[in-house]
Amino acid sequence: MDWINITNAAINGIVLGLLLALPALAVTLVFGIARFPHAAVGDYMTFGAYTAILVQSFMSASLVAAALIASAATAFLSLFFYAWVFRSLSQRSPVSSLIASIGVAFAVRSVITFFAGQSQYVIEAPLVRAWNFSGVRILPTDLYVAATAVLALAAVFFMLHFTAFGRRMRAVADNPELAAASGIRVREVMITLSVIVGAFCGLGGMLMGFKAVVLPELGWELILPIFASVILGGIGSPVGAVCGMILFGISQEIASLYVGASYKLVLAFVVLLLVLLIRPQGMFGKIIAVR
Amino acid sequence: MEFYLIAISISVLIYMLMASGLSLQYGFTGLVNFGYVGFFAIGAYTSGLLSLQGVPLPVSFLAAMLLAGALAYPLGIITLRLGGDYLAIITLGFSETVRILLMKEDWLTRGVHGVPGLPRVFDDWAGVSSGDLTLLLLLLVVNIAVFALIAYLVRSPFGRIIASIRDNEVAVRALGKNPAAFKTRSLMLGSALAGLAGAFQAHYVTFIAPEQFVPLITFYVWIAIIVGGPNRILGIVVGTIILLTFLEGSRFMRDFVGGVSEVQLASVRFFIIGMALICTILYRPNGLFPDKFSKGK
Amino acid sequence: MSYRIDRRQFAKLAAAVAAGAVLSNTAGAAEAFRLGALNSITGAGGAYGPGMLEAIQIAVAEVNAAGGAAGRQFELFAEDDQTKPDAAVLAVKKLVEINRVEAVVGIWPSSVQLATLPITNAANVPSFNVCGAPELETLDDKDLVFQFYASNKVIGAVFAEVAKKRGFKNPAVLAYNNATMVAQAENFRSTWEAGGGEVADFIVYEPNQTSYRTELDRALSKNPDILVLSSYTPDVTIILKEWYQSGYDCKLISPGWSITQAVADALGPEVSAQATTISNVPASSTEAYKAFHEAFVARTGRQPEMFATAAYDMVIVLALAIELAGASAKGTEISAKIRNVTNAPGNKVSTFAEGLAALKRGEEIDYEGASSPLEFGEAGQTTPAFGIFGFEDNKLALQEVMTLKS
Repeated sequence: MDWINITNAAINGIVLGLLLALPALAVTLVFGIARFPHAAVGDYMTFGAYTAILVQSFMSASLVAAALIASAATAFLSLFFYAWVFRSLSQRSPVSSLIASIGVAFAVRSVITFFAGQSQYVIEAPLVRAWNFSGVRILPTDLYVAATAVLALAAVFFMLHFTAFGRRMRAVADNPELAAASGIRVREVMITLSVIVGAFCGLGGMLMGFKAVVLPELGWELILPIFASVILGGIGSPVGAVCGMILFGISQEIASLYVGASYKLVLAFVVLLLVLLIRPQGMFGKIIAVR
Repeated sequence: MEFYLIAISISVLIYMLMASGLSLQYGFTGLVNFGYVGFFAIGAYTSGLLSLQGVPLPVSFLAAMLLAGALAYPLGIITLRLGGDYLAIITLGFSETVRILLMKEDWLTRGVHGVPGLPRVFDDWAGVSSGDLTLLLLLLVVNIAVFALIAYLVRSPFGRIIASIRDNEVAVRALGKNPAAFKTRSLMLGSALAGLAGAFQAHYVTFIAPEQFVPLITFYVWIAIIVGGPNRILGIVVGTIILLTFLEGSRFMRDFVGGVSEVQLASVRFFIIGMALICTILYRPNGLFPDKFSKGK
Repeated sequence: MSYRIDRRQFAKLAAAVAAGAVLSNTAGAAEAFRLGALNSITGAGGAYGPGMLEAIQIAVAEVNAAGGAAGRQFELFAEDDQTKPDAAVLAVKKLVEINRVEAVVGIWPSSVQLATLPITNAANVPSFNVCGAPELETLDDKDLVFQFYASNKVIGAVFAEVAKKRGFKNPAVLAYNNATMVAQAENFRSTWEAGGGEVADFIVYEPNQTSYRTELDRALSKNPDILVLSSYTPDVTIILKEWYQSGYDCKLISPGWSITQAVADALGPEVSAQATTISNVPASSTEAYKAFHEAFVARTGRQPEMFATAAYDMVIVLALAIELAGASAKGTEISAKIRNVTNAPGNKVSTFAEGLAALKRGEEIDYEGASSPLEFGEAGQTTPAFGIFGFEDNKLALQEVMTLKS
């Protein structure tokens, strides 16, 4: 393999990693604050992608409008399931929430296939050719995808670290009982969390659909790489989730040049095993998160 | 008609075997295995491929159980010292990895082409149909034996320890026992049962291919044990029967209810599976037949 | 937007199945022939199964309107195999044991045919499929299994013939990882190499990915002049999108079910102009196809794709064979007559009614199907003709028809 191929694979990996950092951030926040692995994030992404299709066919072909409405609709969906399911389960063992989140994933996907069927859809956007720098190719649309993801990530990081509300969120993540005792309204934090999870998954799903095609299994197939990256970064660490996802994206794309693309998922699994074996708290995780 | 009933009953009993194993892991020990189908696949391929090499079926079935159980060991020791969530993620990854290896390593598994022409369990017994009846009886005996084993284990010192691990791990640790070791044993035993179920499935369907071992199967089994009640044998039996009645019953719905497309019917089926998971966890956390002594989890 | 299954049509269809069952129960003097349709309505085959069932419906209506086969009306029982062998086993047990069907038609994936074959063969029930899996030729010990679609070997060979004829030198292969597609790609390679050519790269890719750029970059780095895409519609859409975006120039060749008109509509003329597709419907050349096409469009408002056309032929062929074998014929007695009604020599017929009339006159017939002329070989496989298609102004157009010696 020459360096041009490797560079191209790395670029692809960075874009993919940035994109998937959105749901990965959602997963790690849920892990840190609500303390369970949220298996429905993949299908929230699918929901976002299908919402974008719906917007494009009935309202406007604008990609920005599709992205905004997809995020909003998915945020609403996530809030609904928080209010109905996860709120009541928050006092029980995390396993209950985990199993329920699988149920949520199936319910969301089945509603999508009931109305949209099994066939694929394409998010409409003009096809453009890549800029070619003597073999190294950069796709303008990839730049938009990456820029959108970076903006959204930056907004959440700003909120977490520079606002009073962000401090409250982190306090709940550190110790919910203590946070509640010191007057932080945990309910409010949870609602915000649900909105962020929904909006990020919706946006991520829409961008994924924009890059590829929209199918009912779009999000579910991404669950494992996302979880592997979150654990790699350190459960509950937002910086870790983003770095872990990008690192994972790059290594996945480069590795598939050598071992064959089919082994991408196997790679996710091996990374998972190695991290858990060598450093279960991940790159940035606190020991406290490892229960 | 009776042959169809036999076919359904065989499916029920194969699922019941899986449900028993998963119930041992989740219901009795509290282990969340989201990759159960991976062990089922290992069992199916182990026995299937060995039998094609001329290994007699009793030996290949045993090998299926041993390999499926043995593969659970490393997963157990890596994750079980950490939290339960890790096991869930790692096992989900395991089952997908198994499926991809089955697809890609075609020198061993014929890859996506699948392996056709596996021997039936009772092939020489006067025709396909009566062979199926004998298989049904064998499965019945195996299931009863597994139930007896579970009943024995639960009352044994081992059973009391795994139950207390499930209910209060810290206390067990304080007593100087190593919970991870007990959990790993339970994980291996449950996985071996999945391997056995896989071997039965392989030699019943006579054709195995990687696409038969998708994660959805795992969650079918989860439905069975959660709906019925994960830590009671009656729960396992009733849960499995409810699951298969539902899966097969929706097939008949089309004959009676016109106007539903199959795509929509499949979606409805999937929706009910999802809703059953949510609603049971929310409203009947211990299933239809809760263990009288267990507290809500 | 792209193509979705029209649920309303499908709902009507399902209702028609139910209504048909009721009607035919009260209608016939002779006992109805119970026909099972085992289609992949959901799962990977979900893009084709519903159309196949509709085609089967059309054919059943045609047979019944002509007075049935050997005086027996067809009564249809439809099942979804979910494109999964284990679901198919239960579905086929239901068809055989409960509905007591005497033949099963419409099987799409080879995994389903492989899993159900022991059951249908044991019950002496013929099964007709569009699989093209080589194993079927050896596993079917009773000559009950017939394949109405080109075997993979043939399609792969046609790719090689077309590429050679058009003067390409350096093909790169991208193949979807399943039995049919990998076998097809491998047969392309063996035919191509037997013709003295070399393959630049041979990549088998995993389905259900969101991007195939890594695989594509690897293939393009070998500077191929043509990409051989053994693929399906969802994955080929992504691949073509990424191929166009990469700015690399080359031609494309794929099976007809992969780069479809809908893909061209989604991606535009600059992509589709480079594509050649191969399918085994000699579109518009046979009378049977014209009639079926008209009926299908009238019924569904959509164009029939190739698998649906083959499914239509299954029912017509079955009915003709029953007519020849007689009303009381079962399983192997029926399947033994299939080559008599489809293979040359004989008077060429294009519809069931024509064939029925000719058979009643005691003539030999040769049914020229809607999907292909249907000449079944020793092992129940077809050797069809191929249409080579291109896109002109983004519209699919037949360029030439080609036949291969098998």
